[in-house]
Amino acid sequence: MFQRPSPNIALGANENNIITHADEVETVVGPSVHVEGDFSSEGNIIVKGTVSGNVKTSRVLTVEEGAKIFANVRANDAIISGEVKGDVKVGEKLELTDSARIAGDIDCKVLVVEAGALIHGKITMKGIEAVEKSEKQRDIKRGLGFGGKGRLSLEETDLGGAVVE
Amino acid sequence: MYVYLYDNFLRKGKYEALVKSMENRLTDFGIAGKIIRLQNLTNAQEIVEDEVRKGAETVVIVGDDTTFGHVLSRAASAETVFGFLPVGPDNAIAEILGIPSGEEACEVLSRRRKIKLDVGWVNNRYFVSRLTVEPAEISVVYDEKFKVFSEPGKKLELVVCNLMPYVENEKREKIIIHPQDGKLEAFLRPVARKSLFKTVYEEASVFPFEEMVVSGNRAFTVEADGKKSKETKIKIKLAKKKVEMVVGKDRQF
Repeated sequence: MFQRPSPNIALGANENNIITHADEVETVVGPSVHVEGDFSSEGNIIVKGTVSGNVKTSRVLTVEEGAKIFANVRANDAIISGEVKGDVKVGEKLELTDSARIAGDIDCKVLVVEAGALIHGKITMKGIEAVEKSEKQRDIKRGLGFGGKGRLSLEETDLGGAVVE
Repeated sequence: MYVYLYDNFLRKGKYEALVKSMENRLTDFGIAGKIIRLQNLTNAQEIVEDEVRKGAETVVIVGDDTTFGHVLSRAASAETVFGFLPVGPDNAIAEILGIPSGEEACEVLSRRRKIKLDVGWVNNRYFVSRLTVEPAEISVVYDEKFKVFSEPGKKLELVVCNLMPYVENEKREKIIIHPQDGKLEAFLRPVARKSLFKTVYEEASVFPFEEMVVSGNRAFTVEADGKKSKETKIKIKLAKKKVEMVVGKDRQF
């Protein structure tokens, strides 16, 4: 009844052991492991193997070289060095290293692409939407919203020559 | 009222002086109590429940990691506070709980710094330290959402950690698990090759989870808190904040 814990796992009697605390424990998909189904985590995710299903995290997703994801990806930040066949939606920064292969649309705020990375898909960046929106709002304020004149000349606006009817 | 559950190995002569000095210290602190000696076939659950009925407010486990797992795997559901006085060399759990060995542990016990710990639940019993599935052809379904499996013909070892640290053999890297984080941590390692003397594993996968089902076409060996059994399907769940435990201020979580 009083048996020792698993013989396969030796407890660290060695003082030189590297100790990692629980806060640093992340979800890791190992190199020869396959995951099937929708895969989500509240912490960081590191993919080194194959995932056939959507991957979602509110933190950082790292797809290492040789790893494959066959579905859509959503993360706050992502560093991709492997292969993704699906749409990639990143809230903040997406980094593609030279070995990255993306077959799908990309949606992010900041994009860093290293020479050699391959992308086949549409890239949408949130920054442009925000600029367009603020320009439109400014147009409305100056042209239709407050003045009601209907037509603004180039001198009256700072929109680089845009004319609002 | 305090009740002390002594492991059978404390009868050995080499522990006699230490146990005596600890008992004196407990008397000094005014927390001495009834002593029950556990035998190999003792049902810890019955003893603890019986003592709680008789008015025990704190049940103190005296022994090592094995004693700790043996008692709590059965008695975790008891409505009482648990304490731990580590004696002997195999005391990794005490270190994590911030309980020093020997007489100093009595001081930690007397301070009664209590916290509630998560425990694991597998096939109708609890496990507090660690569960291991020995290398076998298994597949694992996590939280009814995704399935994890290895390449055909490749065996997987599964270790689910709660209190006990996870140690990767080759790198000697130790990962301390937070027993109050609302998750259990599963470490899956495919076997790369096996020789007569050594099993070489590939890099581990790590999945925090609340519920998982492990299944295999053939029976596989499961070891939970030192107790082995053969199974073809097991369901592992998290029992949140199940055990109220006296811990030290130097605990590692």
